[in-house]
Amino acid sequence: MITLTINDKEITLEKPVTVLEAAKQAGIKIPTLCYHEAVKPFGGCRLCVVEVERMPRLQTACTLTAADGMIVRTESETISRVRRGILEFLLINHPLDCPYCDKAGECELQDLVKKYGPTVGRFKEEKRRVPESHKDQILARNMERCVVCTRCVRMCNDVQGASAISIMGRAGYSRMEPFSSASFNCEYCGNCLTVCPVGAILSRLYIHSFRPWQVDREVETVCSYCGVGCSLVVQVRDESIKRVIPKIGFGLNKGLLCSRGRFGYEYINSPDRLKTPLVRKNGKLEESTWSEALTIIADKLTKIKKADGGSAIAGIASPRCSNEDNYVFQKFMRMACGTNNIDSISRTGFAAAQKYFEDVLGQGITANIIEGLKNSETILVLGGDPTAINPILGLSIREAARRGAKIIVLGNAKGLERFKTLQLVPEVFKEADLLDALLVEISHAKGVRGEISAIDKGIRMLSEKSAGNKNVQGFDELKNILMSSPSTSIVLGMDIVQRTDGHRALFAIAGLTYLLEARLYLLSEKPNEQGLIDAGCVPDMLPGGRPLSIHDFKRKFEDLWNGAIPEDDGMTLFEIIEGARGNKIKALYLMGENPVFNLPGKFYIKESLKALDFLVVQDIFLTETAEIADVVLPALGWTEKTGTYTNLERRIQLQKKAVEVSHGMEDWRIISEVSNKMGYRMDYAESKDIMDEMAKVSPLYRDLTYREISYGNCLWPYLGEPLRGEISEVPEASYVANQYKEDFYLSVEKPLYHSGTLSRRSPALLKMYPEPALKVGAKSAEKLGLNEGDRVQFFTQTGSREAAVSIDESIKDNRVYFSNNFQGDGVYSLMTCNIDKVTKAPGIEGCEVKIKKL
Amino acid sequence: MEKFLLKNIENPNSADVNEYVKAGGYKNLSKALDMQPKDILEEVKKAGLRGRGGAGFPTGMKWSFAVADPKFPKYLLCNADEGEPGTFKDRPILEKNPHLLIEGMAISGYTLGSEYGYIYLRGEYPYAKDVLNKAIQQAYEKNYLGDNILGKGKRFHLAVYQGAGAYICGEETALIESIEGRKGQPRNKPPFPVNAGAWSMPTIVNNVETLSNLPYVLEIGGEAYSKIGSKDCPGPKLFSVSGCVEKPGVYELPMGTSLKDIIYKHAGGTRNGKKLKAVIPGGISTPVLPAENIDCAMDFVAMQKAGSMLGSGAVIVMDESVCMVKVTYRALKFFEHESCGKCVPCREGTEWLRKVLHRIENGQGREGDIELLTDVTWIMSGKTFCPLGDGAAGVVTGMLKYFRNEFEEHIKNGSCKFVS
Repeated sequence: MITLTINDKEITLEKPVTVLEAAKQAGIKIPTLCYHEAVKPFGGCRLCVVEVERMPRLQTACTLTAADGMIVRTESETISRVRRGILEFLLINHPLDCPYCDKAGECELQDLVKKYGPTVGRFKEEKRRVPESHKDQILARNMERCVVCTRCVRMCNDVQGASAISIMGRAGYSRMEPFSSASFNCEYCGNCLTVCPVGAILSRLYIHSFRPWQVDREVETVCSYCGVGCSLVVQVRDESIKRVIPKIGFGLNKGLLCSRGRFGYEYINSPDRLKTPLVRKNGKLEESTWSEALTIIADKLTKIKKADGGSAIAGIASPRCSNEDNYVFQKFMRMACGTNNIDSISRTGFAAAQKYFEDVLGQGITANIIEGLKNSETILVLGGDPTAINPILGLSIREAARRGAKIIVLGNAKGLERFKTLQLVPEVFKEADLLDALLVEISHAKGVRGEISAIDKGIRMLSEKSAGNKNVQGFDELKNILMSSPSTSIVLGMDIVQRTDGHRALFAIAGLTYLLEARLYLLSEKPNEQGLIDAGCVPDMLPGGRPLSIHDFKRKFEDLWNGAIPEDDGMTLFEIIEGARGNKIKALYLMGENPVFNLPGKFYIKESLKALDFLVVQDIFLTETAEIADVVLPALGWTEKTGTYTNLERRIQLQKKAVEVSHGMEDWRIISEVSNKMGYRMDYAESKDIMDEMAKVSPLYRDLTYREISYGNCLWPYLGEPLRGEISEVPEASYVANQYKEDFYLSVEKPLYHSGTLSRRSPALLKMYPEPALKVGAKSAEKLGLNEGDRVQFFTQTGSREAAVSIDESIKDNRVYFSNNFQGDGVYSLMTCNIDKVTKAPGIEGCEVKIKKL
Repeated sequence: MEKFLLKNIENPNSADVNEYVKAGGYKNLSKALDMQPKDILEEVKKAGLRGRGGAGFPTGMKWSFAVADPKFPKYLLCNADEGEPGTFKDRPILEKNPHLLIEGMAISGYTLGSEYGYIYLRGEYPYAKDVLNKAIQQAYEKNYLGDNILGKGKRFHLAVYQGAGAYICGEETALIESIEGRKGQPRNKPPFPVNAGAWSMPTIVNNVETLSNLPYVLEIGGEAYSKIGSKDCPGPKLFSVSGCVEKPGVYELPMGTSLKDIIYKHAGGTRNGKKLKAVIPGGISTPVLPAENIDCAMDFVAMQKAGSMLGSGAVIVMDESVCMVKVTYRALKFFEHESCGKCVPCREGTEWLRKVLHRIENGQGREGDIELLTDVTWIMSGKTFCPLGDGAAGVVTGMLKYFRNEFEEHIKNGSCKFVS
């Protein structure tokens, strides 16, 4: 207990904090400039000086730790004079171009001078001139306005961990400079922009387009890009988004954002947006009316249902749509169309892995708080780069590294290059062998845990088979670290799930999770992969993850939904596509999904979908898939509708409507209109009504309301009941022997700046990463005789592409990476896939690649 | 007085290990290794040795803080970033008598339980770097450094780290930042370096001259050492005398020698017998003393009483031909250039002061400029992050205290009457 006196007010502190913090707790405001709550104290601006009894000089409140018996004064004649003087100092070289500066109105220097500063300056000499050293396309720098508070540098180094900027020069020549010469060679998180108190760092996305006080409204909502679900604030003027800003300390991201979240909002105002329904007439998509389009869909689906049964109809839901959309979608599929053929693109990784883990370890095993990663002693990262796939989750890993945690990377992870303790580079496609060996060794050392007999049995079988391959450099160190770690987290990307024997890696990870009592995190590329599973958009489960095969559950839902749910499990994603090809599926309803672009084997998939009798696509853009559809319906996008999303840690969050648009309809509304026309009543006036129904029927959402959700701490199972089933037997592993002959393998790049459909229509993100490049490791480049920027042609069995080479030092194995996030044919068009028999996820094949320099 | 720090310095091969040993070198290291570290510390305390870098902090006390910290490894850093105008006292040791420093550091390392030492050398001393590196190599060869010093089972490793030419790196926390590979800027204190310095480990930063006194303390014993020179801060002291004197140079004299004696008895008096105007007694950041105030003892305590500071003992002598406004301007130009830019008062204040002084010196001073200077220095002094800003402000304040009339004349006449 510490008791100190500030301005005659006695303050008692639980733990030692700075005087500034103590004053804040007592409601006493001390002016600050270089201090920012998100970064470490600096003590440079000297504005927060206070008088402390028995201390000779004035002290800076931001760096002084409160001590028992301290007597502090925050205001006095002297202090005011110092503050006035400091502000005058700051202004001698400040350009005072407030009428022109975008920061005016929310500028901390402006506010401080107004409150504490001099009205007239005495500096008569010429001000420093600092020409802009280079022009960046995203960040506008004006170093004449810079007050060298170094908040941006501290943010970049100590929080973001990008270390892209520094203060160069000294004294009056001090200025923030990026280390690269051409432009900011950084992660474009823009968190420096958040903390800049003046107009020294601004975003070109909105420069000179509005004044901070000229916004019509600010809406607190959730980002739409990845499975983290960061909170952010959207500022709207004239029904268009002016900018996206974070709120410090707010949401699970605590006010930090990544490039996509902060700068990727422009797609919503893209001229490519679908505005009216389209109907195929004489082989061409033509503009139509809602009533015509909806009637055609209802008639056609009814006809097919009658002729071929509900099982000839299938639906693909979307992890970009809300829980409400997905819930209504699966209900429509099951009740109106009479089919359980519902799946989504999440089958390619997240849904498959999630189901495997929940089957083996129990429901909710992946529901772990992202922030908790910080406190792990050891973090095992595999199957992708978390700092690119889920950037804000990646920051927690970096924070853990700074706190001394051991970060172990299996494979490549560019964003963790400077943070990892150990990296293992197993042979490509043989990661499961390494994991098997690791599991066997650890189980030998730890002994049988004996809680889940199926896993114990699975491990025993593995060790009897003496499975695995520990012949990878660093194996013993990895084992020792894991064995001695008091708390371990495993962060799994989907890369190693997408193998024909991906379930082997999943079992090994499940086994490690079980033996090490680790926390498991699944990286999720889309914002609602978890929510869509919980909403029931899977062929074998009803909302709440209740298996269709258990009759009691099915009957309960039938009672609530007034009708019969088809008996058998439906088809998974790739079975649906095969079904379309084989004419087993006649009609396919796609909600916000683009399989032709987003799945491996573009031409195969396109052909399959073309074989359908009837294809409906609802989306916000005329996607590659929509182009071959029979009916296309314009949906609403992010900020245009309200709905809930469940992130990868299973936090249910509310995405709010921020702008009013005249075109398009919410996905759930379109579907309920079709349903009504098909004779199955759905009467929802707003999305809230759907959540009310979900709260009634889904055991996971019990009593959940929008009000509760808006507080931001609805973590699963929030009042709900998990299902603690236990399987008796782990599915038998099937071993696939890949015999590859080529020297290089093609892999899917997951870039930080892109996510696909949305990002390729966001001009700012395209400026950061304008066109796809073939990413090659340094060793491979040497072997191939390639230099940065060389044009190459690369071939797989399926096709070829041309691209420029980009050498990436962080790629340690013989993989080359190409992205699938740009207009035109991406990496998926060059690949094919097999299906993992256990998880039904695609095992990406056809990755052998030949590279030819042009 | 017999010279110790500059002993043997006339010998052209003084930097060679054999010559050093011939003159009795390294025997104190051997003696030290046979003693208990706590006994050596006791001797240092008894000797009353105070830091020679400028602040005059009792070395024994600083060391006992570091010894009390249970963390290992501990680092011993030698501050050889001698960069203040007027100061060149360490240079003869670094260039002519490097083994004295190495011996001092080895003894200190043993006393402190530190096995790793660095000499943080000023960027502008390339010659000293070569000398030191060679000397260190010789010391390793002769087993004065290494894993088993003189076969007595003690370890001490030493390396030279050269700065990039920043005055601020003489401030110990900035020095540590620099040695860790970052930009040299002072750190927040606490934690103090003795508890969390280089790489967050207990770190002792001592001046070249301080560490070079260690062999002497051991040679004659703390008791005898404490009797040399001033009572409060005993020992030999190096004074670097420059400016308008007949014989500028480095003088080893007992602490407390009078400033007047240093100038007139040792440095040969003012050049060409011109009238003395003022003396900056301890390097440019110490306040100026007018000619009539120079009859005072040069030690930490007496100089404070005289209204200035001993600083590094760098005596800058100015005669009647020197323009004090120009001296002030030149000093501020230095401080502006060397301000690290971390804190506002120093970064902006030095620039403002320099600009105003430039104006006055060039005959464009305005009425109110002296008040402006006074006010700007008030905002700076005591409010900057580290003492660099205080020093800059102190120069102006000191000059205005004794030579205000010169500033006034400049402003009134619109010109400088001194021809330079």
